[in-house]
Amino acid sequence: MKSFQIRSKMVNGVAVLYLKGHLDAHQVGRFEKELVRMIRESNFNILINGQDLNYITSAGMGIIMGYIDEVREKGGDIKLCSLSERVHETFDLVGFTEIYDFVADEQAAIEKFSRIPPQA
Amino acid sequence: MKNSAAFPPKPDFSITILSQTQLLKMVVELTRHIATLSQFPLQEAQKISLAIDEAVTNVIKHSYRNEADREIRIEFFLAPAGLRIRIFYRGLAPDISGEEVNIGRMIKKKRKGGLGVKLMKTIMDSVVYTSVDGENCCEMIKWRTAK
Repeated sequence: MKSFQIRSKMVNGVAVLYLKGHLDAHQVGRFEKELVRMIRESNFNILINGQDLNYITSAGMGIIMGYIDEVREKGGDIKLCSLSERVHETFDLVGFTEIYDFVADEQAAIEKFSRIPPQA
Repeated sequence: MKNSAAFPPKPDFSITILSQTQLLKMVVELTRHIATLSQFPLQEAQKISLAIDEAVTNVIKHSYRNEADREIRIEFFLAPAGLRIRIFYRGLAPDISGEEVNIGRMIKKKRKGGLGVKLMKTIMDSVVYTSVDGENCCEMIKWRTAK
């Protein structure tokens, strides 16, 4: 079994990426490829659901950092939800929790996206 | 005693790995196990292993430019006061600037890297890079806090 898995689906107009397992520098290319695919398909409301993510390094966090500006310039956002305490703490160690929107669960995150005014 | 004299002169454990990212998970699990043996609580042991992951990743990506056949030696020194880990490698010397990481500026520049050293310095009590005669060393120390 792969130590890191990623799948995605559209939920009410939001591209949800489900991350599972151990996301380190060895696995990060698959995460970036899927995130870029979402953006290239003009999905700018992106939710990263980390319910089953048990480990992340700066490699994974760096991918989010590298694309967030482009997504926000297009009127969207990258939000994160359902993180374990351990993974949330890793984001907190680099100060991401002050810059990104961390939401308790997927439903609440989807609802927050729906309050974003439609793009012109 | 919180100085280098707190640690034994020879490592309690050492491992040499090839510079391959597929080995990172093994290094993380090994480090977590050793930190737990060194009486760190699991949560602290997990953070220490993350710092080692970041340090070894930096070596593979930046010093060895992803060449997969280079060597990295990791030494663990256990002591009642804490845990010292030394990572030895050759290749390009580390470029660790003293510049403070500014996440907002990095987002604007669309940077994907540069967070690893911040994580290491946040987690560990000491992170020191040295380079002597072509051999580089990243030494990290985590002291145990008194209960």
